[in-house]
Amino acid sequence: MQIFTQLLFSGIALGMIYAVIAFGYQLTFATSDTLNFGQGDALMLGALVGLTLVNLGVNYWLMIPLVCLFGAAQGAFVERIGVRPAIKIKSEFGWIMSTIALGIIFKNVAENVWGRDDLKFPSPLPESPMHFLGANVLPMEILVVVGAVLMMLAVEIFNRKSIYGKAVVATFNDRDAAKLMGINTGLVITFSYALSSTTAAFAGVLIAPLTLTGATMGAVLGLKAFAVAIIGGLTSGMGIIVGGIILGVAETTTGFYLSTGYKDVPGLVLLLIVLAVKPAGLFGKSAIKKV
Amino acid sequence: MLKITNLHAGYGKVEVLHGITLEVPKGSVVTLIGSNGAGKTTTMRAISGMIAPTEGRITLGGEDITGRESHRIAKLGVAHSPEGRRVFATMTVNDNLLLGAFPRLTGSRPKGDVTADLARAMEYFPRLKERRLQLAGTLSGGEQQMLAMARAMMMNPDVVLLDEPSMGLAPILVEEVFRIIARLRKEGVTMMLVEQFAAAALNVADYGYVLENGRIAVHGPAEKLKNDPAVKAAYLGGH
Repeated sequence: MQIFTQLLFSGIALGMIYAVIAFGYQLTFATSDTLNFGQGDALMLGALVGLTLVNLGVNYWLMIPLVCLFGAAQGAFVERIGVRPAIKIKSEFGWIMSTIALGIIFKNVAENVWGRDDLKFPSPLPESPMHFLGANVLPMEILVVVGAVLMMLAVEIFNRKSIYGKAVVATFNDRDAAKLMGINTGLVITFSYALSSTTAAFAGVLIAPLTLTGATMGAVLGLKAFAVAIIGGLTSGMGIIVGGIILGVAETTTGFYLSTGYKDVPGLVLLLIVLAVKPAGLFGKSAIKKV
Repeated sequence: MLKITNLHAGYGKVEVLHGITLEVPKGSVVTLIGSNGAGKTTTMRAISGMIAPTEGRITLGGEDITGRESHRIAKLGVAHSPEGRRVFATMTVNDNLLLGAFPRLTGSRPKGDVTADLARAMEYFPRLKERRLQLAGTLSGGEQQMLAMARAMMMNPDVVLLDEPSMGLAPILVEEVFRIIARLRKEGVTMMLVEQFAAAALNVADYGYVLENGRIAVHGPAEKLKNDPAVKAAYLGGH
């Protein structure tokens, strides 16, 4: 039981990271029906830029807003270079290739700047575990969960309460009608990419102290978060949290009880089942179109 | 206020409008009538920038707005209540109305008193008041139409484009929509109205244009058009 609690806690921390990245997928999907497949690389860049800042002597907490700014700029860049041209010519798939391509380019750049080896990210919190319900919990893991939830809440509140947030939701509802309200939907889409990469960069510096940091850290995380977005539903905030935790816990428990070699299998099997049974995701609403 | 000269527009290679010239003077209601496919909606879309004209000129209060992006045209004061209502389905009635005031709330148009205008919109459309916290997607077709009109008014626009406000509504609601248009006209709102109910449209309008196959066939004061034998035979018979 103790071991299970332990696995549960680690799984939740991991799952929340997946959820934040998946949240980033949702943000751009909501405004433009496109996804940034370089989301994992946005996370990796965030973590590496954060590491450099910390090594330069910047305090961890002060570094976070700086990395978020970097993430925003990086996301806006991806949108302008890779996505906008595709949207403009109404290409349905052009953005897929271009965001993947940009992701690969970012990875190569990172390999050249920071090297191919994994680096250690100093933990801002004590590294001795705390004991909770008979299990060990790292303070950093708690920070990951709290940070992830706060990030998603902040965006949710922005969307619901501010007029600019409402403009984002309106763009999601009906892009042409939003334009008729005077909303610059192109800017909204750029903004959603900036915000999406911000969440990824933020997730990067949150988990970097728990894992190793390096140019290749993003690819797998980005892919799994994509699975979470599909499992939970591309439009449901609740869905990705639940989906993230399911996938995180499935990984840690399989890794322990079965074999770490199989730890990725249950999540992906779940993905296949969801796609077959409920393609809109566990919490996703199938699109209702009133004519 | 709004002036269109020799407008050509269409979709892809298909030209729908073959040179339209019309004018909406300040404070007046101008209606554009014609059968399906004549180009009424296309004209509206070209004015608000949803499609780019291929030729011609559109000016708003003297300023050339031809081919500008629709969010810029909206900020200059053109409120377009589009065909098919296009309300923001996952948002509340209240939020839909607030978004109508987006240019005012974000500083690109004079702010005025948004709260008072919200109250005024609810007074015009009492049904919306009852449903103010309901999601727009759950409203009936008639209620959505009222919301689309109210949302357009929230901009405090210089010109309102109403595209088929009566489409798909029960007769009693059609009457209500026209009553509201008449009321707005009395208040001096400049409006361009596209309608299939030509008789009702000419009743609330000052001036009318009859569109046939992308060209203006006849135009004149609404009173005169109502009594024009050719217009009567072609458009007013059935209604």
